[in-house]
Amino acid sequence: MEGRPADEAELLARAQRGDQGAFEEIVQRYQQVAFRVAYVITGSAAEAEDAAQEGMFKAYRALHTFRTGAEPRPWLLRIVANEARNRARSAGRRQHLHLRLAEDFRPGDAAPSPEAAVLAADEGQRLMALVNDLSDDDRLVITSRYLLQLSGEETAATLGIPEGTVKSRLSRALERLRRRVEERMNA
Amino acid sequence: MPEPAELEAMLSALAGRIDWPETPQLKVVIPRHAAVLRLRPRFQARWAMAAVAVLVILATLLAYTPTRTAIADWLNLHINIRRTTALPTPSPLPSGALGSNLGLGKQTTLDGAQASVKWHVLVPGQLGQPDAVYLQLPPDGPSGGEVSLVYATSPGIPVSSETGVAVLVTEARGQVNEQFFGKTLNDATTIEPVTVNGHRGWWISGQPHNFVFIASDGTARYETLRLATNTLVIDDGGTIVRIEGHMTKAQALQIAGTLV
Repeated sequence: MEGRPADEAELLARAQRGDQGAFEEIVQRYQQVAFRVAYVITGSAAEAEDAAQEGMFKAYRALHTFRTGAEPRPWLLRIVANEARNRARSAGRRQHLHLRLAEDFRPGDAAPSPEAAVLAADEGQRLMALVNDLSDDDRLVITSRYLLQLSGEETAATLGIPEGTVKSRLSRALERLRRRVEERMNA
Repeated sequence: MPEPAELEAMLSALAGRIDWPETPQLKVVIPRHAAVLRLRPRFQARWAMAAVAVLVILATLLAYTPTRTAIADWLNLHINIRRTTALPTPSPLPSGALGSNLGLGKQTTLDGAQASVKWHVLVPGQLGQPDAVYLQLPPDGPSGGEVSLVYATSPGIPVSSETGVAVLVTEARGQVNEQFFGKTLNDATTIEPVTVNGHRGWWISGQPHNFVFIASDGTARYETLRLATNTLVIDDGGTIVRIEGHMTKAQALQIAGTLV
């Protein structure tokens, strides 16, 4: 997404030229998002750790396939997400992801983000519960785009679908979530 | 009922409040000789032993003909095979650019092909950069386009005397519907389900054959396998990958295992 350090592509280029330290730096920078992407796909922290680690390994082996000038993050997330999907598939069924909000956050805490201030604690919990109850496809696209704050390209890479499909799938998922919010408000 | 923009703002506001599991310190150790070691040897060894045990059991079962037949019946493997006496024959043309006589479309580069399709073009890491790349877009190619990677040589795999190609990797978006897996086989051709990195696949060995898959627009796509030899087909998350060449099943699976 915008605002990331501009030297990540250079790091990857150096890794392609055999600079192992550069690749280790890439692992350090991307390990959090890679692990969380794998977590939302597998629904298991242990599986996500294995998938992220194996994904990094495969990325290293595949450095020669990275296109110069491309964004490194979608490329890497795609490899990790593929690994996570394979593991979820091999496990027979995906564990149901149940995201929770951190308990130590309360409205009025010091320096909440402007967006966070919009939400009262109860509203946030209720919305989180509704997101958790969505179908796998709806939950995954909404989680990727909003809760992981991935770009459209990164979301497409994570879901293994074209970017255009992300837009349509996201639009439908949001509409279904809106209806559920309305039902909850009217209940 | 919240407006769409309001709902999006509410969801974005949740991003900083998720109670994520603690991110582990990933350990990818790269030794001096540039191969990469994965940690968790105990985990790997456990699965390796399990895999060996399963293979031994399967080999024992499959060696016994009645068992093999029963397994094939159970997996419903027979329904997709049609046997015919007339087979299509590839038509190698005079020399030109590598693969230019195979009817793969317009020659391009890997970057050019990638820029022309909306899906990720997979490259077998073991084979590396292809020696030639072809792109076939609709209406000649399937919906979503088709990309072919041509390799002139590959260690341990003979080069076709007719085409000058060792390995051909062809990719398109779609799905393999086994009900439409209308293979045209002769008596010496066999089809065997396989799994590659968790993806469904089929190892097709023997004589020239056609291949049918469902393109991304839902239409059936009939194609001739260009090298008319052993072929591994994989459904890699919606990308149908075909790997053709005079190779063994083990060689094909090894190549397919490095697709990224």
